Amino acid sequence: MILVIAEHRQGELNRATWETVVAAQLLAERLGGLPVNVAVPGATGSAAQELAAAGIGDVVTLVDPALEAYTPDAYVMALTGVVASMSPRFVVLPHTYQARDFVPALAARLNKPLITDVTAIAGTADAPTFLRPMFQGKLAAQVRPMGEPPCFVTFQLGAFRADQVKKSSTQSSVTNLAVTIARSAIRQVPEVPFQEAQRAVDLSQAARIVAVGRGIKSKEQLPVAESLAKALGAEIAASRPICDSGWLPMERQIGSSGQTVAPKLYLALGISGAIQHLVGMKGSRTIVAINKDADAPIFEVADYGIVGDLFEIVPAIVAELEKK
Amino acid sequence: MKIAVCIKQVPTREWQPRLRDDKTWIREQDVSYEMNEPDAYALEEALRLREKHGGEVVVCSAAPARVQQILREALARGADRALHVEDDALAAADACVTAGALAAAMAEEKFDLVLTGLQSDDQGHAQTGVILAERLGIPHSTIIMEVQVEDGRLRVKRELEGGWFQWIAMPLPALLTIQSGINQLRYATLKGIMAAKKKEIRTVPLAAGLQRTQQIVALAMPSRAKQTQMIGGAASEAAKELVRRLREEARVL
Amino acid sequence: MNRDTLDVDVLIVGGGPAGLSAALRLAQLQKQRGGDPVSVAVLEKARDAGAHILSGAILDPSALHELVPDFRQKGAPLVADVRRDRVYFFTEKNSLRFPVVPPPLRNHGNFIISLNAFVKWLAGSVEAEGIDVFAGFAGRDVLIEGDRVIGVRTGDRGVDKHGERKAAFEPGVDIRAKVTIFCDGVRGNLTKELLRRFQLGRGRQPEQFAIGIKELWEVQPDRVEAGTVIHSMGYPLRHDEFGGGFIYAMPEGRLSVGFVAGLDYQDPLFDPHMAFNRFKKHPFVAKLIDGGQMIRYGAKALPEGGWNTIPRPYMNGALIAGDAASFLNSMRLKGIHLAMRTGMLAAESAFDAVRSGDTSAAGLASYQEKIETSGVKTELYPVRNVHQAFGYGLFAGLAFAGVNLLTRGRWPEDLHGHPGHERMKTLTWYYGSKPASLAPSHALSADRRLTFDKLTNVHYSGTAHDEDQPSHLLVHTEVCGSICGAEYGHPCTRFCPANVYEIVHETTSGPRLQINASNCVHCKTCDIMDPYAVITWVPPEGGGGPQYNGM
Repeated sequence: MILVIAEHRQGELNRATWETVVAAQLLAERLGGLPVNVAVPGATGSAAQELAAAGIGDVVTLVDPALEAYTPDAYVMALTGVVASMSPRFVVLPHTYQARDFVPALAARLNKPLITDVTAIAGTADAPTFLRPMFQGKLAAQVRPMGEPPCFVTFQLGAFRADQVKKSSTQSSVTNLAVTIARSAIRQVPEVPFQEAQRAVDLSQAARIVAVGRGIKSKEQLPVAESLAKALGAEIAASRPICDSGWLPMERQIGSSGQTVAPKLYLALGISGAIQHLVGMKGSRTIVAINKDADAPIFEVADYGIVGDLFEIVPAIVAELEKK
Repeated sequence: MKIAVCIKQVPTREWQPRLRDDKTWIREQDVSYEMNEPDAYALEEALRLREKHGGEVVVCSAAPARVQQILREALARGADRALHVEDDALAAADACVTAGALAAAMAEEKFDLVLTGLQSDDQGHAQTGVILAERLGIPHSTIIMEVQVEDGRLRVKRELEGGWFQWIAMPLPALLTIQSGINQLRYATLKGIMAAKKKEIRTVPLAAGLQRTQQIVALAMPSRAKQTQMIGGAASEAAKELVRRLREEARVL
Repeated sequence: MNRDTLDVDVLIVGGGPAGLSAALRLAQLQKQRGGDPVSVAVLEKARDAGAHILSGAILDPSALHELVPDFRQKGAPLVADVRRDRVYFFTEKNSLRFPVVPPPLRNHGNFIISLNAFVKWLAGSVEAEGIDVFAGFAGRDVLIEGDRVIGVRTGDRGVDKHGERKAAFEPGVDIRAKVTIFCDGVRGNLTKELLRRFQLGRGRQPEQFAIGIKELWEVQPDRVEAGTVIHSMGYPLRHDEFGGGFIYAMPEGRLSVGFVAGLDYQDPLFDPHMAFNRFKKHPFVAKLIDGGQMIRYGAKALPEGGWNTIPRPYMNGALIAGDAASFLNSMRLKGIHLAMRTGMLAAESAFDAVRSGDTSAAGLASYQEKIETSGVKTELYPVRNVHQAFGYGLFAGLAFAGVNLLTRGRWPEDLHGHPGHERMKTLTWYYGSKPASLAPSHALSADRRLTFDKLTNVHYSGTAHDEDQPSHLLVHTEVCGSICGAEYGHPCTRFCPANVYEIVHETTSGPRLQINASNCVHCKTCDIMDPYAVITWVPPEGGGGPQYNGM
């Protein structure tokens, strides 16, 4: 059995949990068709029902007042018992900040392996392996867990597509599992989360990025790219020469001397693709390059390429997007 | 306050990956190393806490002998002494082994506060700090952007995703993993470098019996399986086709 | 401002072969002679010793034998013994092998090394003697009191690109020394200042330079046997251009592939990096590296002028050693042993001067005598005219070199050189009329297999600087927009091997020079070759620069 530990905020499941369900289903398949179960710590709201409705597999909710506000101590205590009693072969989670906060302690307490930030599953049914980036993405490692199961795995956000969940029309069962957590054993006292105005532009969190290069020709032409960013709900970014010229602030620079990003969609407008730029964006899921030079190296990393005048093509894309 | 900072030595950001012949680890001969960036911020935070609350800062690392380069650097920046668990096998150790090695060497020191970077720029497990807290039996919190110490208790600002934050309180002793950018790093000074030569680096052997929990079967340059699809035609046609493919094939719109 | 000071007996500026040999020799003298300890410090602008050093490199071990007799036991990183020498003359399509290797290019007994690894090893030996090697600290200014050098001020750190102090601002430190030994390398920024202030070049010939560009390649190990040393002349250079190519074969299929071009060319559209690319496309070179992988890149100027261009290397309170004072044998293409040797000699004079209490120019003049009576002069004096002879063209130079060998350097009157940048011609002079394009002469586009554009190459040099600091290339940009374009067509965009200089044509205004200072690989070519001499290279914030691991 593969156990997914769901993540939610006040009962609302996050997208990463669905991605993890997809990864779990792929792993289950590779292992010869194992069942997938889901545990929802501190379940409130509709999280458990939503999962059950998808018919993925048995849903277990862990209920205790101590699990209402997340703390690593309470989660580790609750899940240690659950994992031990359910004996899954793999316990899988999304590689979120929350998972990073408690899963290493959970796995260590059980003396089990934890493989983090996994982007793909490989290997055989007997010896599955996991692909994960190392050296800041410069290398991809194939990693094999050692020792007895269960093995914990966290999956990189966006590595699997949430919309590929294999749902079943049969509703899964939901079991409430009472866990007892001694409140006095919880050492962290959390306060209410709050949002803060970002101090700087954090392009690494952007889902879509429209990046401009020298091909934009002058600062006065930037609105061409900005209109596309607006139509896509994307952040605007740039290659080095643009920021060096002061057309955009330095924090919007992508590349070896700027930020490293991996959005779902990266549109490169008039960027030739110097290696210094490529190292900052080649991990993007889908890359579109628009450049008038058919030999520009950017096309080597692009999924979609258009050779032509960006001042004609970009407004056409904006018009197309606004059609709907 | 007695503060430990765990630091790791990683290849510099400019390093171009080269693989060992067996393709399970990097070719170390040509690598130049530096202090893992988040660890440098952890060290700076420790120095600031010491300046405010007094006490001692001890840098700790579980690594081959080459790590003395960054231990010296940390001493030059102001750490008081260093603790080095030395073993060649630690170069490519997983987080469990590294944390276990550190825990064994650090336990008797009874630190009030242990700081680590949130993850390393080499293997990037993002586990060592949390496992170390577990092994030392102390509470922890991760990805910290501010540290306050009052009446023997900690209050720390933890970063959540998407611009959200949360304050967490906990008793000392405790472990925190520090986020890059929490403070402004200081430069090592000439006087600091000279003073560092007189500071102690205590070397201890790797504790026996630490088991690896994972094995690197293969390392490779990330491959790109996708083929570039060129879209031709007049601007309006190309735009239309691109938007269609982004919606239907790539499904990113 | 609260500026720290540090007092030492001997300060060595520059942690290369010269500076580190000087430091090691001082430690040895201290041990041999005993007495009050002479305090020594070494400044190095690179983050780690060796990170900014670049050479072919072939080591003549003569100085090493003397400095560290048991260098093998001490683990000196010597990559391969030289087993065979080959010299070729290249035409565009063919290569003609010299039937006999000219004696200066015979390398029996020498070693192929990575100078980066060698310098790291030397630095380790120096630190093991208890001497501080302050890496990441650049000498920014010479401290002068009256007519005497009293030390060096290191650069401020933590200054933003507008010159404002950042929160972590750390002022530079005044390091005061009884004797400062300047080993700041080819066209050292501090030695340049000394030459000007104390007119050390008076009565000497103008310095001569070349630029060396090198890549490290990994190819199939059976292509060239390790220990093979190949030199080429001729193509892609024209007969009035000085220089040539080199390929040194190391174990495991590693090749050091490089090209040296004299910084005294006439064609304002000449581009040394382009010459390097054309060299790699020559059938002889291409077949060696095809299918291989370029793994590192770097560039550095080298002093070529020889004996007659060496400035007076001693003054009140200071000595100059190594490349900084042009101690390089351009005929043998070797300078490491001379850097080490002059560093050792400088250390001996400095040690005696500190002990005797006379560190004036008179007290330090023994350095000059040691140079005159040592192997340095024996090696450099006979070939003093050879580089200058190449000023008359390749064939004149080769003929002269041949005759010079027979006469053992006897020649009625010494030949005179001219500062290289003054030899550059204007576009209209060289081309008759202004050429339609300012592309480098014989431009070919990078194939990204054998040849690369400069920006890609820079990536492989590992170069990094803090982005938020003032430009460390001080340029009087008024000539760029006014006369340079018309006269020389912005040659900085071509002679720089790292794409630091770019002319940006904006719609509103005319051409503007954009300085991409963080690409700079510290080769010093711009400081040397600018025809108006309006570019001054000063050290960026300590630690910034290339990372020449394995180079």
